[in-house]
Amino acid sequence: MSIVPDRLPLGEEPPSLADERETVRELCRSLGDLVRGPAGRATRVVMAAGSVRVEVEWPVGEAGSVVPSGEGNALEAEPTGEVLRAEMVGTFYVAAEPGARPFAAVGDVVAQGQQVGIVEAMKLMNAVVAPCAGTVTEVLAADGQAVEYDQPLLVIAPAEQEE
Amino acid sequence: MFDTVLVANRGEIALRVVRSCQEMGIRTVVVHSTADADSAAVRAADVAVQIGPPPARRSYLFAPALVEAALATGAQAVHPGYGFLSEDPDFAEICADNGLVFVGPPPEVMARLGDKASARAAMAEAGLPLLPGSRSTVDSAAEATALAAEIGYPVIIKATAGGGGRGMTVVRDPRDLAKAYRSTRAVGQAVFGNSSVYMERFCESARHVEVQVLADSYGEVVHLGERDCSVQRRHQKLIEESPAPELPESLRRRMAEASVAGAKAVGYVGAGTFEYLVVDDEFYFMEINCRIQVEHPVTEMVTGIDLVREQLRVAAGLPLSLEFDGRGVSLECRVNAEDPDRDYLPAAGLIDEFVPPGGPFTRVDTHARAGWRISPDYDSLLAKVVVWAPDRPQAVARMRRALSEFRITGKGIRTTIPALLRILDTPEFVKGVHDTSLISKLGTAT
Repeated sequence: MSIVPDRLPLGEEPPSLADERETVRELCRSLGDLVRGPAGRATRVVMAAGSVRVEVEWPVGEAGSVVPSGEGNALEAEPTGEVLRAEMVGTFYVAAEPGARPFAAVGDVVAQGQQVGIVEAMKLMNAVVAPCAGTVTEVLAADGQAVEYDQPLLVIAPAEQEE
Repeated sequence: MFDTVLVANRGEIALRVVRSCQEMGIRTVVVHSTADADSAAVRAADVAVQIGPPPARRSYLFAPALVEAALATGAQAVHPGYGFLSEDPDFAEICADNGLVFVGPPPEVMARLGDKASARAAMAEAGLPLLPGSRSTVDSAAEATALAAEIGYPVIIKATAGGGGRGMTVVRDPRDLAKAYRSTRAVGQAVFGNSSVYMERFCESARHVEVQVLADSYGEVVHLGERDCSVQRRHQKLIEESPAPELPESLRRRMAEASVAGAKAVGYVGAGTFEYLVVDDEFYFMEINCRIQVEHPVTEMVTGIDLVREQLRVAAGLPLSLEFDGRGVSLECRVNAEDPDRDYLPAAGLIDEFVPPGGPFTRVDTHARAGWRISPDYDSLLAKVVVWAPDRPQAVARMRRALSEFRITGKGIRTTIPALLRILDTPEFVKGVHDTSLISKLGTAT
């Protein structure tokens, strides 16, 4: 599953930036509902923001039916989970320093409280930590990207799903 | 001139600043809380950055977010508007440390004038007249008692860091003094983070008149005439006008000269306002506001000068090249989302219908529109209706006409319009001889 914002929210040219950002936000919300909805877990989600494009793919032959949890492709069929959002305006970093191994990449299993990124604001490095144990299913912000308050950064599928 | 300016405010003033920037060809960055994500200023801006949740201390008052937003968007200057961080010397310094131009006076000047006791001392030194009162802060209840006996009751105790009508207590009876002293200190500490207070004689019936000044970085200071702001409820202004009506010409001139001298004495830079009390034919310095004021449009209307544009030019290091030449009369009425029949209680809610007045010489500065939700997180100013006319009777008639045209409806929404219309009809206001006691006399406020 990948969500690909193809435009950055900060520093972009007008005129429709505010509208577009709202569109992205709305898309993220709707996608969350969609992939958790009765249609079952999606195997692939593509989202574009510039001209607004959404693609959702469900397992072939299972469309419309509820896919029991635990089935399907282990990597691709993870449901959308906890969305980590920026708690402040700043610059997002995936690693402690340029070239270093990222704190967390898609597919990594993380523990609750484990650092998964950094938002730098006023030269202070603010750790972004996992709110729960689980698997990183998406990294939504690029390394070095300026992020605003409440902007989605990563998605973690919780390790223990309620049946 | 700057090519990108960040507007660190919200509401009508954020839009006001954006508009001047647009006219000057400056790219604008507007910051906003989640409550203002779809505000008029955000819509008008070239770039918008969401900086925090609705509470101001985590968004509009949160300096790191503002600075980060400025740096991320390539802004070279920060315009703080009024309120929020507009008179915060620490914020001005943080801006400077990050290579950003703060549109306002230098931090050290703001620090000196922001403390009302030290501003008072500085202006006394510059030769401005003061009401009898403490030379600096009053630091004990005993000292307050002795001083009040010396200057005579009633007295007013003011928090040195106070503003916006808060942190002031009038004392008429010596028996109430110690309690008022303690409670004003407590309010100062709780609201402004500073418990120090000073004391002055209190004038029951005075007029509130202020002088607009503009100063550049090269020591040049001009005044742009005065504004009368005597129509107040709970020390907050409702109607302002320029020039001040029924003010003797010699007094007008002396106040303007004193303000220019005061600004020069402290090395003032930018737009500023010298506030005075006028009692009979004398004036007394009260405080200096180191920012653009809510009521700045009345000065713009009589002078033809865009004050925000001048602020930006001065901040960019350009010299002043204007002089005061006032013409006609301008009035401003503040349309707040408040219920005048319930002691001006804020009345937040969703606006259904919003039709501002138009017509000749009528300006409305507002961020509101139909479908806009008035947030309880911020102040209640909804719109400023400003009119111009060649003389005061025409200006008052024009304002009456404009306010009567203004339609604002919505569930639970009340505005100050009915109260404003009542005030415009009082004989004192019509004659231009009203003072700050007008509203309490009308019985529309406590």
